[in-house]
Amino acid sequence: MPEELQIYAPLLPEIILALGAMALLMYGVFRPETESEAETVGWLAILVMIAAAITIVWYGNGTVRLFEGAFVDDAFARFMKLLTLGGGAVALMLSFDDFRNLRIMKFEYPVLVLLSTVGMMLMISAGDLIALYVGLELSSLALYVIAAYRRDSVKASEAGLKYFVLGALSSGMLLYGSSLIYGFAGSTNFQVIANAAKGAEVATNLWLIFGLVFLMVGLAFKVSAVPFHMWTPDVYEGSATPVTTFFATAPKVAAMALLVRVTVGAFPAIAMQWQQIITFIAIASMLLGAFAAIGQTNIKRLMAYSSIANVGFALVGLAANSAEGTQAVLVYMAIYVVMTLGVFACILSMRRADQAVEEIEELAGLARNNLPMAFALMILMFALAGIPPLVGFFGKYFVFMAAVKAGLYPLAVVGVLASVVGAYYYLRIIKVMFFDDSKEKFEPVRFKAGAVIAAAALIMIFGVIWLGPFTDYAMAAAQSFTFVK
Amino acid sequence: MEIGIGHYLTVAAMLFTIGIFGIFLNRKNVIVILMSVELMLLAVNINLVAFSSFNKDLVGQVFAMMVLTVAAAEAAVGLAIIVVYYRNRGSIAVEDINMMKG
Amino acid sequence: MGLEAFFFYIFSIAAVASAILVIIARNPVHAVLFLILAFFNAAGLFVLLGAEFLAMLLVIVYVGAVAVLFLFVVMMLDVDFAELRAGFIKNAGLGAIVGGIVMLELIMVLGFQSYSSQIIGNPAAPAPLVTDNVTNTEALGRILYTKYIFFFQVAGLILLVAMIGAIVLTLRHKEGVRRQSIAVQVARTPETAMEIIKVAPGQSVFPKNEGPAE
Repeated sequence: MPEELQIYAPLLPEIILALGAMALLMYGVFRPETESEAETVGWLAILVMIAAAITIVWYGNGTVRLFEGAFVDDAFARFMKLLTLGGGAVALMLSFDDFRNLRIMKFEYPVLVLLSTVGMMLMISAGDLIALYVGLELSSLALYVIAAYRRDSVKASEAGLKYFVLGALSSGMLLYGSSLIYGFAGSTNFQVIANAAKGAEVATNLWLIFGLVFLMVGLAFKVSAVPFHMWTPDVYEGSATPVTTFFATAPKVAAMALLVRVTVGAFPAIAMQWQQIITFIAIASMLLGAFAAIGQTNIKRLMAYSSIANVGFALVGLAANSAEGTQAVLVYMAIYVVMTLGVFACILSMRRADQAVEEIEELAGLARNNLPMAFALMILMFALAGIPPLVGFFGKYFVFMAAVKAGLYPLAVVGVLASVVGAYYYLRIIKVMFFDDSKEKFEPVRFKAGAVIAAAALIMIFGVIWLGPFTDYAMAAAQSFTFVK
Repeated sequence: MEIGIGHYLTVAAMLFTIGIFGIFLNRKNVIVILMSVELMLLAVNINLVAFSSFNKDLVGQVFAMMVLTVAAAEAAVGLAIIVVYYRNRGSIAVEDINMMKG
Repeated sequence: MGLEAFFFYIFSIAAVASAILVIIARNPVHAVLFLILAFFNAAGLFVLLGAEFLAMLLVIVYVGAVAVLFLFVVMMLDVDFAELRAGFIKNAGLGAIVGGIVMLELIMVLGFQSYSSQIIGNPAAPAPLVTDNVTNTEALGRILYTKYIFFFQVAGLILLVAMIGAIVLTLRHKEGVRRQSIAVQVARTPETAMEIIKVAPGQSVFPKNEGPAE
């Protein structure tokens, strides 16, 4: 690499992804429109993602700010980017078989996933309101399209429409907030905003508070936190299952990273104000996710409410406003991604006569028909419920410990209560699988889905061994920020 | 009377609330909802340009340009989704969206 | 009342009035036209604020592209818009009250609070002075392709996604439609296009039983 371009090395992963997406687009356009060509494009897209991940590990060093601070590369960004890429790549891999079944195996899907991932990585690295907005929109626009990707299905197009309308509304709110913050600080740069927001009198500055509230509304929508969660169950249920798998992993991670970056990075001086907002959102999400999931019969809707609750748990860590809290958020999101991928790989394996079945009752007696899958799903459900010694337990443990250390006792108590309620519906699935009368067999689990299920379950059981080094790594990432009490 | 920044922000606030109001008023008609979103973005642009002008700082105008670009892209994607939905349902009424309860 | 104030009130009253008409118009075609009017007036406000380039952009991009796209979709989809207005009045009362309160709050907070930005005198990209003899367009161009090239490139990616998305969702290849394939046409050679037949005297060019239709 030439000397003058050396400083742009931190941007290399994004450049690789963007150029890879364009190259694959050209490849797809000029090759015949067959399913096997589309799968080739898909595997190449996964290769591009792996290449980007390798460059992140290879070139990542210290904290670098590019383009007047609009692009920040630090340990936190690298952690979240690796997680996003991992979740996205596995979700993409799981899509191939199912899309062949649905006859929508086309090369545009991997290209859109790649471009959306570029947007997410820009969100994670955003150090400026404009960068935040363009990154968010790049990822969201691609997500709107892939929500409706199964375009001949009424449900999928409905999901796309709902997601789009609410998403456009929320990005309008986010923008209005951004414009007020720009007006307040006179700059869009997070560091300048953080400096401007210092001092006692700004805490009552209505520009800043209004701007922050509007901005939070937009971001809460993206992480699907209560009260802006309405789209989640419908989009999860309506979209094709591989698309839902993608929705449940990579975008959640990126939006959570963005939320951390905005609150901790740009507004450390008015932590009191945003901590209140985050606390409220966290409590509401945990409770709603726990209680609304009880009555669900469709497993995709159930996972939607589960993801709302999980976002609530992760936000508990953010509300603590400390290095431990942020570390807990990182660890929690990583564990959440693994669990979610495993469960969705199971959902993708629920097929009879080439038709996907999505009702929870259909799992009845799975233990008799397919014991390994039932066992793996049981492990994943126990992990989601947070039962020790599975790794899922430690995610919740770190989050609640951080909240207790920060003195947020009510938040921790509500969190524990919500996870007890949540355990009920996870255990219900296990009961259905093991003790209910056996139903017809599912088709055999496909290799890719099987590998993901097995890997996720094994990580849940044996992951504890690597938990120490992993949390240290997360701590190093969390210390990219300075925390002001 | 001197025209200050407050005047421009007032106009923007009005347009923004009209946009939000339009979304709730026309809950059934997605195309008008999309137009209401465009009004909200217009309000944001007025805000940004007003701040940019009164702060003598061009960043606000660059931001406004990005908003314009994204709004155009958003309209294209949104209308494409509406067309897909219409092909499937033969209608664009949002309250028809009850295949799934939500 | 100065000239600036005069034009400010004309533009802003027209913009707000047409915005209201956008959301209450019975006919969506009218709504689109009022949207265009609102954008024209906002462009007028931009000119008052000294942002000529954005004003022109608003007119060209919105009126020229976005609004036309809206009109196109409204006219392409055969929608019974009267039916869509059911419940309009029912929603209107409560909505108007809530909307009115929010609007009043925003105006009181933002319109009448004395404004001063935190970093006056130290902007990231200072606007040119009148004495610099640099137009707004040139000043924007100077920073857009240098300092803010990053945003410019990402905006390009966003447009690419919109393009792919619109095509993926709506393009359909109809079965049984013959398309022009320029590559095939160009690749034709005399050998593939022509057949030289030696015609013996007294015989037809056509093989037996395949004569031209009378």
